[in-house]
Amino acid sequence: MVPLSVRRLAIVALLIAGVTLIVMAGTHNLRHRQAEMQKAQQSEVQLTPASSAATSGDPSEDPAAKTMKGKAAPSFTLVDLNGKKVSLADYKGRPVVLNFWATYCGPCKLEMPWFQDLQNKYKDKGLVVLGLDQDEGMAVNEVAAASKRVGVTYPILLPNDKVSKSYELGDYIPETFYVDKSGKIVDETIGAHSKDELEADIQKAIGSGGM
Amino acid sequence: MGPAAAPHKGHVELLSDAVEVKAGEPEVVELRFRVEDGFHINSHTPKDELLIATALQLSPARGMKVVDEQYPHGSTFRLPLDSGGTLDVYQGEFRVSVRLVAPKGSSTLTGLLKYQACDNAVCYPPKTLPVMVAVTGH
Repeated sequence: MVPLSVRRLAIVALLIAGVTLIVMAGTHNLRHRQAEMQKAQQSEVQLTPASSAATSGDPSEDPAAKTMKGKAAPSFTLVDLNGKKVSLADYKGRPVVLNFWATYCGPCKLEMPWFQDLQNKYKDKGLVVLGLDQDEGMAVNEVAAASKRVGVTYPILLPNDKVSKSYELGDYIPETFYVDKSGKIVDETIGAHSKDELEADIQKAIGSGGM
Repeated sequence: MGPAAAPHKGHVELLSDAVEVKAGEPEVVELRFRVEDGFHINSHTPKDELLIATALQLSPARGMKVVDEQYPHGSTFRLPLDSGGTLDVYQGEFRVSVRLVAPKGSSTLTGLLKYQACDNAVCYPPKTLPVMVAVTGH
């Protein structure tokens, strides 16, 4: 028979051992979790906008928006200000600039006289500039008056949603496609650019797709 | 007037949501709008006739009468690439003063703000922002 005092002593010792084990396990668990958290923090990937465009909303800075470069320019047939049908295929073998614009767009009207100058400058290289109007519900004579006021004489083509979709246009203008002699889009720009930049892209279109 | 709707995806939002006026008399209320940072819209009197002016089209509730609207002057803005001309635009917050006669009690001033937004390099198609302001006449 074990004396009562010894049994009590054994129970107390067991209790102390149990509590110690629980505390040790808890401490180990806490350390383990802290170490895991530290590891997770070290390997955390900082998600930052790919460009300032993500915060500024300026699509001209968004490289992801440029999707047509390297592809064949989608074919189209549109009507010009005189009601004449104009197809991209009419200019096969020549470098072509397709400039999407609208009468209400200040940056577009800034670029357009530069395109006119550059078309004149590179006329002997076969350069063609086409202005694809994006106004909705505007009378033809108003578009004609606007393009005359801007000072362009290159063909202005009237809107067609199918063409805008085939060129994957965003909800903004100007947007310009530089097509080489083989019909491939060698560059695509969003927003107004300086005359020097336009000329560099035109030279790229002239120099590419040799036939 | 307290803050109203969340920023509008069209780059302009209406800040006004409620006004209190003296009933039965011409009262001027200010409708507050805000253009998103980095963007501008043409003022009510843009310098170029081809540009789309900012304008309110109000449809007052029954018993309410809109007497007139007064638009603020725009500020001068030059596109970074433009060495010549300037634009007359609204940027940040702008307020249109509307003189109206409201009935006693609660009514609503509704309408549309027509505008066209651009940033430094691109322009967006013309848009309309719904306007809805609670008017309480005392």
